[in-house]
Amino acid sequence: MDILESYLRAVKRCLPRAQSDDIIKELSDDLRSQIEEQQAALGRPFNDQEMMAFFKQHGDPMTVARRYRQDHRSLSLGWELIGPELFPMYLILLSFNLTLTVGAVVVVSLLIHVPITFDAFVVPVLAQILCLTVVFTILNLIRRKYPQPWYYPPAELAPMLPVSRWYSLIGLIMWATVAIWWLAVPHFPQLILGSGAVHLKLASTWHRFYVPILLLVMGSISQRVVSLLHPTWTWAVPVMRMVINTAAVPILYVLMFKSQTLVVLADGIQNTPHYEQLVEDFNGLIRWGILGPWLWMYAGISAIVYAWYSVPHLRRLIRGTRRQSAVI
Amino acid sequence: MSPGNANHDLFENLRLELRRGSLILAVMASLQTEQYGYTLRKALTDHGMPIDEGTLYPLLRRLETQGLLVSEWREEDKRNKRFYRLSADGKTIFKQLLAEWQSMNSSLSGIL
Repeated sequence: MDILESYLRAVKRCLPRAQSDDIIKELSDDLRSQIEEQQAALGRPFNDQEMMAFFKQHGDPMTVARRYRQDHRSLSLGWELIGPELFPMYLILLSFNLTLTVGAVVVVSLLIHVPITFDAFVVPVLAQILCLTVVFTILNLIRRKYPQPWYYPPAELAPMLPVSRWYSLIGLIMWATVAIWWLAVPHFPQLILGSGAVHLKLASTWHRFYVPILLLVMGSISQRVVSLLHPTWTWAVPVMRMVINTAAVPILYVLMFKSQTLVVLADGIQNTPHYEQLVEDFNGLIRWGILGPWLWMYAGISAIVYAWYSVPHLRRLIRGTRRQSAVI
Repeated sequence: MSPGNANHDLFENLRLELRRGSLILAVMASLQTEQYGYTLRKALTDHGMPIDEGTLYPLLRRLETQGLLVSEWREEDKRNKRFYRLSADGKTIFKQLLAEWQSMNSSLSGIL
């Protein structure tokens, strides 16, 4: 019944707090009764797939919770932009983003000693409202078109859902493109240096990191291939990505913070102040732009997130091992 | 939106509107004897009034807030279940609603 508990937890998250316990108790009893009746008709307990099918048919947790909410606020401009299921989440995120934006404008204005005026807030605040509204409108359209799939599966349910082949295929195409680009860089440095390749070349430091980064890219490709060939091996996504991202953290850290120049002047180019500046600019661009601490932070955060998503798989593995040893 | 779809949506809205009032009456009629949510839902389905739990439970909650139903959590078959029945006020209102429905039904039969 752990899938039932996960489902109820997912519904509870979207319910008004004051009534959530009461509603969940009642919904739990209703669902248990339905499951027991169907299992009795089947003459055996549901397996995981049947249990998932039951909940899929019952509806995604957000829609189920919506039926219990008295509050049906939504955002409409002639036609519905954001429906009542997503509207509470939209409001929470919007308030969070706006608070952050206003705070950031104040801090930056104070740091650069610029007077804090109303005008300084207008563009960032409008940009936040516009971006978030567009994102939620798209999500709303997707939910209306495909109401059944679970767009927000809780971590406990994710292991049960086969990985979509389209998802794996798109990832495979994307990472294959990155691999081809990376493999071509030593032969065509202009792929990184652009027109600067006439005067610049990649430094020897670069070569130390070339193979480790290539291996990371190949790791990402192999994860997509595994998911494409075996969509039911749902553990492959979080576990392999956790490993790849964890490996990326030290590599990118050394590349970003411990290595010297990544780009130097090409052979035969005379060292003039203009070219020195060019070398400095390119190193800065690659270090803080293309690769940047952003990629390093992304790898670190992804490693943590995927470690979190690996936990249910680990739990299932332990449970399976225990069951096997109990049989023996 | 095609005219076929628009007609279908319109019919669906009108059907739901028609059903909403009858559903309250059906629920109140079923709760003259005490029942818990799941058996009530099954009883309604068996009588040709299927209702999903997302509609039934909010309706039960609303009727209880209005004082027409009383509920009580009790253990049955090793599980806690919430049992509902009509309150004294509920019984009175149910009788009035039933009379109203019967009168409407006979008027409607005459018109149709």
